[in-house]
Amino acid sequence: MGDKRVLFRASELLVYTSDGLPSYFRQPAIAVFPGTRDEVIAIVRELAPLGIPFVPRGAGTGLSGGALADGVVLIGLNRLSHILSVDADNGMAVVEPGVVNARLSRAVAEHGLYYAPDPSSQTACTIGGNVAENAGGPHCLKYGVTTNHIIALTVLLPSGEVVKLGNPGGERDGYDLTGAFVGSEGCFGIALDITVRLSRNPEAVRTVLADFMSMESAARAVSAIVATGIVPAALEMIDQPTIRAVESSIYAAGYPVDAAAALLIELDGAVAGLEQDLATVEALCASNGARTVRIARDDADRARLWQGRKKAFGAMGRISPHLVIQDAVVPRTRLPDVLAEIEAIAARNGVLICNVFHAGDGNLHPNIPYDASNKEETARVHSAMREIMGACVAAGGTITGEHGVGVDKLPYMDKIFSAESLAAMCDLRQVFDPQHRSNPGKVVPVHSCREWHGAPSARRSVGA
Amino acid sequence: MTGTILTAVSSLCDQVRDAAATNVPLRVVGAGTWLDAGRPTRSVSSISARELSGIVEYVPGDLTLTAGAGTTLGEIRAATAEHGQWLALDPCGSDDGTLGATLATASAGPLATAFGTARDLALGVQVVTGAGAVVRGGGRVVKNVAGFDLTRLFIGSWGTLGVITELTLRLHARPQCDETFVITLDDSAAVGRTRALLRSVPFTPYACEIVNAALARQLFGTERAAILFRLGGNDESVRAQRLAIAALGEPRPADAGTWHELRQAEPEQAIVFRLSHMPSELQGTWNEANAIAESCPGTLIHATPARGIVRCIVPAGAANVAWLQRAFRAPSMTTRIGERLPADLWTAVAPLPTADPLSVGIKAAFDPRSVLNRGIFGEMT
Repeated sequence: MGDKRVLFRASELLVYTSDGLPSYFRQPAIAVFPGTRDEVIAIVRELAPLGIPFVPRGAGTGLSGGALADGVVLIGLNRLSHILSVDADNGMAVVEPGVVNARLSRAVAEHGLYYAPDPSSQTACTIGGNVAENAGGPHCLKYGVTTNHIIALTVLLPSGEVVKLGNPGGERDGYDLTGAFVGSEGCFGIALDITVRLSRNPEAVRTVLADFMSMESAARAVSAIVATGIVPAALEMIDQPTIRAVESSIYAAGYPVDAAAALLIELDGAVAGLEQDLATVEALCASNGARTVRIARDDADRARLWQGRKKAFGAMGRISPHLVIQDAVVPRTRLPDVLAEIEAIAARNGVLICNVFHAGDGNLHPNIPYDASNKEETARVHSAMREIMGACVAAGGTITGEHGVGVDKLPYMDKIFSAESLAAMCDLRQVFDPQHRSNPGKVVPVHSCREWHGAPSARRSVGA
Repeated sequence: MTGTILTAVSSLCDQVRDAAATNVPLRVVGAGTWLDAGRPTRSVSSISARELSGIVEYVPGDLTLTAGAGTTLGEIRAATAEHGQWLALDPCGSDDGTLGATLATASAGPLATAFGTARDLALGVQVVTGAGAVVRGGGRVVKNVAGFDLTRLFIGSWGTLGVITELTLRLHARPQCDETFVITLDDSAAVGRTRALLRSVPFTPYACEIVNAALARQLFGTERAAILFRLGGNDESVRAQRLAIAALGEPRPADAGTWHELRQAEPEQAIVFRLSHMPSELQGTWNEANAIAESCPGTLIHATPARGIVRCIVPAGAANVAWLQRAFRAPSMTTRIGERLPADLWTAVAPLPTADPLSVGIKAAFDPRSVLNRGIFGEMT
């Protein structure tokens, strides 16, 4: 593959010691960057008989430490960036794993199509990485997450065997192996090609910015909108600390800095009926205490409003060098009390929490900017993070809505899954990767992977 | 979870474990309405999820619902309708079918055009595996990537990996307007025109089904093939959608109950299967179904253009079985998915889906003694 495609010097590997979450650092033993599908297969087939573990990596924009390779082989797939075919008539495309999310949408735009899942990192992240994480994004409220858009996959198993999952040509009887693979965080093998579903560009889009004097009234407006049956394309909430971080950055979007919270609401679809839905949404914002409701004038205005939201994590870099990024989900009706609890947790631990999240889905992103070199502050941040997780799980929620477990949320897995459920996940992994060589140590805590069929006492307990 | 359901789950664990210990294969039963589907299982005894009935948690504002697997679709419909919501899943068959069976078989109906299939609506699942373990995948919130996706794995696994005991589903709020229209077709090219129209309009209908003349006769008493549309949204949107579909012919308002009748169109005795291919090949798939209808008179056919699926309901009878056995041996571009077939047609309808090592491995991991619905996916060892 050439020397430039194989890195083993510490200085060269530095950039691959973390992903998008600047909290975890692990050094791979070696990093390889195959340029073709055959090279990927050859590498994995070399490693298989030697029993050497490997970690597949896309653009490295993940937010759970999922692409970290701790002393093992890192296989970078970002050079496999060909869009192999586009079937506009059936709304499908076949892509290599390294195709960048936003590039796919641009490439199919001439057919009036786009790829719907839109993680904030979509200008950099790859479809392969999106498949591994079952990535979401603001517009998943209406259009679904990655798993709803993946039709079929060709997968290289850690053994070196190549298998086809799903049926691009229609229905398939039997187990939903495509569904099992999506979101497996690189633990089931490497997707060599991915058949994705493309969506039709909406005829019209309306973007609304509504600002509120309290988080609670903004949360109430969210519930009221969701209850009408109108499904906004996106329904995002941004709190005051985030608004201030964004407005003082190069991504300034014109959010009112004195507001306690702002909602970014997007409606899309056919022109007919859209204004009627828009009027309903405006009225619901107003009746729930919105101070101002502003509708984007044109595409440029709309892009500006979105830029502030999508670059919010980056803007927080202005506040401090490190950032804890959480991704818990709570039932939508619990948003007001969970947000109040998060505020109390922040005060109790003396940390700043910036909330910027997918309110329509109940998918929170309480982010905590901090300085990791300050041990005392780091301890407070981690304490707050644990308390927030506890509050979200207690509210009937989950620990991650779209970022994945990776290494970051491993300690929380047994808070939501019983030993039996975790063991079942291990068993599923075992089928794809009997030696646990693909992305070892991620998703399911290693101690859960015991021989579970032989523990009758553990089987008696009912419920997870 | 209510105490009764807890006890029922615990008793299911005991039953499965006993069956595994004594090698007594079990047939998993919901309401028992589809047992005559005829999938070739080799079971000695049965295990019922019917007692796992009732809504466990339903907070309307969350637009999610958790219920025992034995809860019927009718019960879910009634509970959600009270709050102006619905489970947008309308599998063929009656509303007496259970949630567990619907999801275990990944059954979907006309609404899949807009709302996706069972896999798109399921948020979490609890099962008792063939090893007698209580395993949960997913959760009760609308977005969740914690852990490997056991939910998608169990949906459509036909009870071969575990007995589904509880499910959490995504609900939708009912739209302001939900109207049904029928357009009579006058020529055989209408299938292609319908698909072209669906590709060009800026909306997705809630449902769009093309029915052949025999089915139209049963539904409306007319003698010509027809397209059924279900349009949802606010009044202005539905008005515009109605105008757009008028390009195919005069849309006449039809009773919403038509969808119910369509789902229950199949007679007591019938051979039911789907032909599936890419949506762009719909005309060819439709022609293939019509060739079957010509040789098997009285065959009812309906097509879902958005999904490229054509469903065939062939009257039962030795002559039709024999004809289909020959027909299925001929090569075809379509994938044939069996729904209700006489035992000897199952092997002819499609290659057994679970011959691949991954599926065999998954079956062995979740049901090591192969006690659950043994043989329903063919031999898996």
